Amino acid sequence: MNPWLHGALYGVVLLAVLMTIVAWATWFERKFAGRMQSRMGPTIVGWAGLLQPISDAFKLLQKEDIVPARADKTLFNLAPPLTLFFALAVAAVVPFSPGLLASDMDVGVLYILALSGLTVFPIWTAGWASNNKYALLGGMRAVAQGISYEIPLLMAAAVPIVLAGTMSLGGIVEFQVQHGWLIWWPPGPGLFAFIIFLLAALAEGNRIPFDIPEAESELVSGPSTEYTGIKFGLFYLGEYVHTMISGAVMSALFFGGWDGPFAPGLHWMVFKTLFFFVVLLWMRWSLVRYRPDQLMAICWKYLVPASLVVLLWAAVTVVGGPA
Amino acid sequence: MTADERQARLAAFMTERFGVEADPWPDGGPIVPVEQHVALAAALQAELGYTLYVYCVASHWPDETPKGGDLIPEHYEVATGLRSVGAGSHVAMWRVSVPVGAGVPTLADLFAGADWQEREQYDLVGVVFDDHPDLRRLMLPEEWVGHPLRKDYAIETGHLPWR
Amino acid sequence: MAVKANIDSGRWGDPYLDLSTYTADADLMELNMGPQHPSTHGVFRVVLWLDGETIVKAVPHPGYLHRGVEKLCEKLTYVQITPIVDKNDYVAPMLNEQAVNMAVEQLMGIEVPRRARWLRTLLAELQRVASHLLWLGTFGIDLGGALGGGTSLFMYCFRERELIMDLFEGLTGSRFHYNTHTVGGNRHDVPAGWAEQVKQVLTFIERHIDEYVAVLDHPIFEQRTMNVGVIDAELALGLGLTGPVLRASGVDHDLRRDAPYHAYDEIDFKVPIAHGGDCYARYEVRVAEMRESIRMARDLIDGLPEGPLVGARPIKTPVQVKIKSGQAYVALETPRGELGTYVIAGGDNRNASPYRFKIRPPSLHSVSALPWVLPGHQVSDVVAILGSLDPIMGEVDR
Repeated sequence: MNPWLHGALYGVVLLAVLMTIVAWATWFERKFAGRMQSRMGPTIVGWAGLLQPISDAFKLLQKEDIVPARADKTLFNLAPPLTLFFALAVAAVVPFSPGLLASDMDVGVLYILALSGLTVFPIWTAGWASNNKYALLGGMRAVAQGISYEIPLLMAAAVPIVLAGTMSLGGIVEFQVQHGWLIWWPPGPGLFAFIIFLLAALAEGNRIPFDIPEAESELVSGPSTEYTGIKFGLFYLGEYVHTMISGAVMSALFFGGWDGPFAPGLHWMVFKTLFFFVVLLWMRWSLVRYRPDQLMAICWKYLVPASLVVLLWAAVTVVGGPA
Repeated sequence: MTADERQARLAAFMTERFGVEADPWPDGGPIVPVEQHVALAAALQAELGYTLYVYCVASHWPDETPKGGDLIPEHYEVATGLRSVGAGSHVAMWRVSVPVGAGVPTLADLFAGADWQEREQYDLVGVVFDDHPDLRRLMLPEEWVGHPLRKDYAIETGHLPWR
Repeated sequence: MAVKANIDSGRWGDPYLDLSTYTADADLMELNMGPQHPSTHGVFRVVLWLDGETIVKAVPHPGYLHRGVEKLCEKLTYVQITPIVDKNDYVAPMLNEQAVNMAVEQLMGIEVPRRARWLRTLLAELQRVASHLLWLGTFGIDLGGALGGGTSLFMYCFRERELIMDLFEGLTGSRFHYNTHTVGGNRHDVPAGWAEQVKQVLTFIERHIDEYVAVLDHPIFEQRTMNVGVIDAELALGLGLTGPVLRASGVDHDLRRDAPYHAYDEIDFKVPIAHGGDCYARYEVRVAEMRESIRMARDLIDGLPEGPLVGARPIKTPVQVKIKSGQAYVALETPRGELGTYVIAGGDNRNASPYRFKIRPPSLHSVSALPWVLPGHQVSDVVAILGSLDPIMGEVDR
């Protein structure tokens, strides 16, 4: 098939499936949080509140769209769709089962890192364009955090690249199917790289305990303070998509992607992605958040040196070791 | 030391050092001359261990002629309380009386907490505290006119800027 | 003198800093935190001058909830004041009522019967547990956000606080504004089966406090609270900070023990203190106090003496409460510290209402610590410090 046509068709299907999953992921999160907090979560709309996401979407669409009088209107309106766009674009190279991906790029991992690095821009744009001091502080925090954590994220993602010898996500998963999951084998670098990657991904995705740009108890709502209605919804959607995709990337890089017994590969990939999503939710609803300077200290004092060491370890393993 | 012993020591201290008539001990503490207000507070803090700043209460007393007495001119009364911490905690209280228009020296140099308490009394009652580092209104808006806890403050009518 | 020396030496933050003399690499940013802000515990406004994210100067502006309670009380009879002051510290209304009635009782020379004193002590301790639970929950929200781990803690704490609310409802008929204390005694006697219920609730809460401590026992919480918002003993005393905040600064002072009222001289209890003076020390003190209060409440409900709730000459109509003249300052220990009532009776007012009525709220003093403590901290610390001081804006502004 023409790769362009394949990409377009697959993209549409992927978008539809992903957005549906994300919509009900919000329902799941609310139920999950409710159970953790000894309350019910949504129960009114539909059976067990299952239609809640639809009701939410309609509510957000109905809300008045307010643009602050002295905001930079173009940038203000551009930021929310861009957030969602960058988050969704990552999904193009995530392999859900052999051949089931929009584009098996040779530089898939690089593409993912580049796009997730770009997510900082719409957040900063939103913070700047809102003409609000809380939004500005939030945007500044987002930039500082995003750029700092980009480094350990990249280093940690380089470990599977070094071990598998390819930059294509599909290739990395194939390698794991043949040699075993990178988190276990070769023992050592993969596991540590995964821990660093998880922490950095949490920070990149602005999830508690690293959600300092939003920090609603300090900065009201950070960059999205001035947004109403569906624009606010887009920010939220972007955040969920980002979390979901990082789960998928993690399972592809370290947990063998579609590899698994008894069931078809797609099932395993979706299962692993959702598993990581739940882990992130679990952390979100049980931890308190760090302070910005502490967050920076963790990154520069611990994660960056550690990721360098792990990368070196991986290189040594490849050159002299069993791989 | 029990609270009763502290009370006896305080009364003796006030009489000896500041010549204040404190026997019998009046309700709300004896009235101390304005000039000795700060000196008394400093002595209590440094020598008798009354280190905890408790309260500052100002009250407004308009012109009054008691039955068969002379006119008592309009004045403010500012009551201050300091507390000793630990076992047998006791409040050392005294009052100063100033005519309207005159100021009471501030305790903000001795007690950090006096800053806000005196601001509140200035805001609500209208007593001016001399040498206060930052004498602004505390509760009411800056542009408020009048001091609501004064006895001549009309309560039936509206007040600018709010009605 | 001492205050200025401590500011100049840099030991305390400078609330009077002249910003024109401050040199920064870039412009200072003026950030208006509040009055509409998620973590200002009501309506409270702090103007912060920021150098990057570091606070250079903080100027709090209370007063958004000022309702003129003191002026109002001058126009009410002593009996009518009780339900009004319920609305001051709306997290511990029981103690507001007690403070007012104790002042009136002292001015009138009324002896409160022993059973009423024990019941008041019991209610005070239950209220202390409820108040500290609410504090712990909201402190979690301050640190963890409304969409995060903090909310989980908040929900747990509110679940338990609700049980104490139910107890109060069983006793007085209302969940919040009880109006159960009256001059010379208490209005509502213990209903049948209430004592059992209290003991069950206490056991339930005691078990769950361990869970909250376990939830918060992780490095993030410690890093957010340790060495943040340190108030040394000298500043705490000078500011008139009382209660857990003072005890967290290492000053062993508790009115319940040191100037006993109610039935506190008849029961045994310990006063927990901590020495850090930081947010974590305040957390430690409050949790320890909760445990201690539960123990006390258990003793109190077991030992509740028989007898009348009001004296031999009960106050039946408001007209009976008349004070010709006199001044009194009466203080008690609320969950937030020393709540005092200064009453000047008589004057030109009718004898049934006070001439001047002043409430000495512990929260106002706590909040006044902010400009001294905040400089040098980060924006994120503002909510941690404000939360750890446990201010109730209804009480600050009155």
